[in-house]
Order: sequence, then structure tokens, then C-alpha cells
Amino acid sequence: MRQPSARRTRTGYLFCLPGLVFLALFLAYPLLYNVWTSVHDVDLGQLLGGAERFNGLDNYRSVTDDPAFWHSVRLSLVFTLASLLLQFTIGFALALLFARPFPLNGLLRSLLLVAWLLPPVVSGTLFRWMLDAESGAYNALLEPFGLSHDWLTDPSTSMAGVVFANVWVGVPFNMLLLLVGLHTIDPVLHEAAEIDGASAWQRFRHITLPLMRPVSVTVLLLGLLYTFKVFDLVFVMTGGGPVDATRVLSLYVYEVFFTFFRFGRGAAAGLLLLVVPLLVGVWYVRRLRREEEPAGGAV
Amino acid sequence: MSYPVDRRGFLRVSGAAAATAALGLTSCSSTESGPVTLRWWDYFTLDNFQPGMNRLIKDIEAGVPDVRIERRSFPFAELERQITLGAISGDLPDLAIVDNVSMNTLGGSRLLADLTARVEKWGQGDQYYKGPWDGCQVGGKTLGIPNNSNCLALYCNTRMLKAAGVEPPTTWDELASAAQKLTSGDRYGLALSAIKTEEGVFQFLPFLWQAGGDLDTFRTYGATALAFQDELIAKGSLSEQCVGWTQQDVNTRFLNQRAAMQINGPWQIPTLKKADFDWDVVALPRDKEAATCLGGENWVVMASSKHIDKAWEVLEYTQRPSVLVPYLVSFGELPARKDLADRGSWASDPALRLFLSQLPLARPRQYGAHYAEASQAVGEAQQAVLTGSASPAAAARTAAGKIDKALGEQ
Repeated sequence: MRQPSARRTRTGYLFCLPGLVFLALFLAYPLLYNVWTSVHDVDLGQLLGGAERFNGLDNYRSVTDDPAFWHSVRLSLVFTLASLLLQFTIGFALALLFARPFPLNGLLRSLLLVAWLLPPVVSGTLFRWMLDAESGAYNALLEPFGLSHDWLTDPSTSMAGVVFANVWVGVPFNMLLLLVGLHTIDPVLHEAAEIDGASAWQRFRHITLPLMRPVSVTVLLLGLLYTFKVFDLVFVMTGGGPVDATRVLSLYVYEVFFTFFRFGRGAAAGLLLLVVPLLVGVWYVRRLRREEEPAGGAV
Repeated sequence: MSYPVDRRGFLRVSGAAAATAALGLTSCSSTESGPVTLRWWDYFTLDNFQPGMNRLIKDIEAGVPDVRIERRSFPFAELERQITLGAISGDLPDLAIVDNVSMNTLGGSRLLADLTARVEKWGQGDQYYKGPWDGCQVGGKTLGIPNNSNCLALYCNTRMLKAAGVEPPTTWDELASAAQKLTSGDRYGLALSAIKTEEGVFQFLPFLWQAGGDLDTFRTYGATALAFQDELIAKGSLSEQCVGWTQQDVNTRFLNQRAAMQINGPWQIPTLKKADFDWDVVALPRDKEAATCLGGENWVVMASSKHIDKAWEVLEYTQRPSVLVPYLVSFGELPARKDLADRGSWASDPALRLFLSQLPLARPRQYGAHYAEASQAVGEAQQAVLTGSASPAAAARTAAGKIDKALGEQ
């Protein structure tokens, strides 16, 4: 490979400049400002009076000393894992279904996408109504079986209600990506296996699943990054209640910021909220690099 | 350069100067020409408030010289947040009508202009009820003027009470037994709001005060109040669904005759007047003490405003009986001023008179800058007890810890 001349390198950097400026303005600056806020004692009065006092890690300490924070972390993990598991499984099943040709396949597929296209505020409001204890559609259906329940006002089931709505929103996206993945599998493989006498289950287990692994990992990771920071859906459906049964981490941060106006603490909590997606993101990028490195190494 | 002064011009200038002097204006910008535009924020977004609001603004623009009002209204829960964010971005109104509870958050933040000297000069501070007026005093300064007040009382469905042979309750014991007698089928004896917002706390605090306690003694008296409400739910007199009801939802229940009694405010009267059944309002039942919670709005001027004098002039104008009475009548609100007690619709309407008679008892929620955190702890304790996930004693203990922490950090 030819050594690039200095001029070419300069031109290269010039081409990177717009992207770098964008990142600096919209990513680095807010993030650094957040870090700065998180190590100062800032509430409304101090912010306006310009008397922010440096207080080191005090904000982090008061956040990690707050049982409500750890409660939110737990809820976020439960919410994320339950949502991922359900939407991935259902999405995979639907993808397998839509991978076969059948009448109205295209129409049904596009209809399913509506769930994903709706703004979360709309779907959240819809589910809040449908799960309503007294006038909700679900209870009207369940009433004859004696299964009606105050889904969202009972602390022990409100999380399930929110996960249910989030899964409904998440399934189409999972399905779509997994369907694309299924289409990349060469049908010849399946034909060969069939001739060798493999059952449908064996073909799924030994051909589809292994070949779907890279797509699945991507889908799960994207899902995790999305789900971990979900705010709007939960905010609209329960506002974090009843009591604090659905106060996931994003709602906790919002509360510290905009209900209590403790900006220093909010910034610290916000940065802690970044930890999980950041770790996952780093791991994913490194994994991608490994995948891109061909076995030979030399280009 | 000299130029002849014609008579009309001279009169105009000296007239303006005299008017300025008479009003005691020390306007910093004497070169100001033309009308001043004042930016005004409130949270009266509902349609039924618009006619009264528009009339008030027309009235101000006609009655206060050289002023134009530019109004924006936000949803109730958003106004305080918008002011806070506006403070950070430097986009603030000149004056605003805020919920009286916002004085806790905004009062300690240097956001609000200090009106102490102007109010003293004006000299009408003693015309206001104690609760509303005290709610505007933060750190020894007057930071606002009460615009209107309300409080909570108990509405009763007259026919249902008669049918059950029940008198309107005056004590907790009577309330509990009346609610139980009035519960039948899909009708509950009592409806109240226990939602996890300030609205629910507004409705809960009277119980705490009636028990003889306050936020600083929540561990003991909070448990008493929580246990009383828990008992109502256990007996089926109060629907467990109340943890999701706003005061609007509560009123709907009462209107549909699904609740025989409800705790609510005077702003529901216009709607209830259209009901096809008879109802009555009585004071909230008492336990150790009689108490109700003060609601309503205050006028505030922003410290960042370039036209504080003009804003004060407008504020003062809105408090003139000739302006204030029609405004309050159209809003279905009560005056915060004693001298208006015998004037508007509340002079003759028995329901409004009852609420007015309770105003001297109404306590402001005045607990300092971190009230929001204490309030949330109260709301969560109530939700925990009423949904059956904690005992009154345990919930009160947990909440007391949070409250002490929040209010101790002044």
C-alpha cells in the first residue's frame, strides 16, 4: 500500500471536520457539561445566582446512598431483560412465519409495523386506557373468565403492564431485522439438509440458529440500548407509580432534575444511567472489529 | 438648539410627568416611548377560563397606561418546570400566576422580584386572609400577591344521605360510619383523590393536620391519618382505585352518583350546578383539630424583568375590587381578600360561602425549597398503604425519614 502524502492526510482530516464539529457540539460538550455539573452543588438558586460550589463526589455519594436509586436500577434491569426476552422471542417467531410466502403476507407485515411507527406517547396513552381497571378493553375481555384486574394501579402488576406495552412496541422492529437476517440464509443449505433427512426442528436448530447469531446479537444489543433508557412510554402510562413500582432509572433521573431541581445530583444520576449502555456499546464495537478481521489477517 | 414649545406639546409632556410622579414610578428607562409589552405566563389552559382571562387582559390594557400583555399558558404541571428552565435559558416572563405551592421552589431561588417595599407603600396587605398572605412571604420578603384562594370541603349527595338516615359527618368517626352506611352495590360512600401527584398530597395533608400532626411529626400522626384512610378502604367505603384519581375524576364519580360524598374544591361548583340531584357542602370532618388545605394562585413578578414597575402596576390594578370580582366570578374562584367577602357570587351562594368560611382555617403548604421531595414521600406513603403494600406504621416511618432529610436541608 502507498504511503499517503501529507497533503492527502490533510485533505482527509478536512473531510472529517464536519463530523468532528457535530460530535463536539452535540455530544462532547453536553456530556462534559454534565460531568462538570455532577461534581458541583447545583440547585435552582445556585444555578441562577452563579454560586455553584465544587463538591467532588458528594453528588455521586448521595445518589448511591439513596435506596430509591438502587430500586430504580433493579427496575430498569427487570424491565429491560423482560422486554428483550419477550420481544425477541415473539419477534423471531413472527419472522419465521413471515419468511414463508402466504397470501396477504406483505399487508400483515406492514400493519405490524404500525406499532413501531406510533410515537411512544400515543401507544402509552392507548395502553393506559386499554389496561384501565374500570373502562379498559382488556378487563372487558377478561371479565367473563373472572380474570379482570387493576393492572396499572396494583404495584405488583404495573411493571408487567408497562413491559407488555413495551413489548408490543418492540416486536415489529425485532421481527423486521430478524426477517432480513433469515433472508440472507441460502435456501440451498436447507434443501441439502432436507435431502439428508433432517427434520424441520433439526434444520432450525443446526442451520437457522447458528447462522442467525450475528443478526440476533445486533438485534438484542440495539434492543438493550433502546429499552434501558425508555422514558416516554413509562412516563405516560404510570408516571413511575403506583408508589414507585415502575420508576425506572430514566424516570428517577427526570425526577431529581425536574421535580426536585437538584441539578448536580441529577447529572450524577444521569451519568450513572449511561454506564450500562456504554459498557455494552464498547463490548459490541470491539466484537464488530473482531468479526471484521478476516481469518488470514493480511488485507 | 432651542425650539418653540407649543401649548399642546407642553401639556402632553407635563401631564405625562405629573402622572408619572403621581404613580410614584421611578422608571429606570425614562426614555421609553410607546407601550411596554409585558410577558405573562399562567396555567389556565381550559376553555372555560378563556373568556374571563381575555376580559381581564382587555381590562388591563385599557386601565393601565401604555401596557400590552403577551400571554402564554402552559399545562398545570408544566408551568413551574417552564419557569425553571426559562430561568436557565434566560427566557422568562415579566409576571406570572403560579400555584401557591410553587412559592416553595421558586421562593428560595432568587427568581422572584422582592415586592416588600412596594407592598408596604400600597398598604393593602392586611386585607388578605392570613394563610394566603403568609404563603407569599419567603425569608421575610413579600414575593407575591395572592390572587385567589380555594380549599377543600366535603360534598354530600343530599338524597342519598337522607335515604340512609345519615347526617353530614363532622368528625372522623362520623365520616367513617357515614361512608360505610352509604356504600352499596357499585356506589362508594366516599371518594377522594390519592393520586401520586401534588393533587393527592393536597387532599391528604388535611387528614394529617386534623390528626394533630404536621410534616415534622409524620412518623406518629402520618401513621394515624394513613391508618384511617386504610380502614376506609378495608371496609369498602372508599375505592382502592382512588390512588389513580385526579380531583376531576373524583368529581365525575360524585356526578355519576357512584360516590355519596366527595372531598373536593370550589372550582367544581359550576359543573355540579348542572347536576340533576341535590347536593350540599360541609366543612371537612375534624379529628383532634379542624383543618383544610389552602389552594389557589399567586401573582409573582420575575426578578429578571426589565419592567418590574410596570408589572407591579398591572398587578396592583388586578387587585382592585372592580377588576378582581368579575374575574373571580367567571373563574368560580374565591377571593383571598377579606374585604371582598360580601361582594361577588360567593356572597349569596351557600356552597361558595361555606368554602369562604373555611379559608381562615386553610393552611398553606409552606415548607421551604425542598418541599417537592417531602411531598413525594407523603404521596408514596399514601400509595403504599392504600394499595396494601405497606402497613401505615411502616409507610409513615419510611416517609418520615425522607421528609426529615428533605426539610432538614434548608
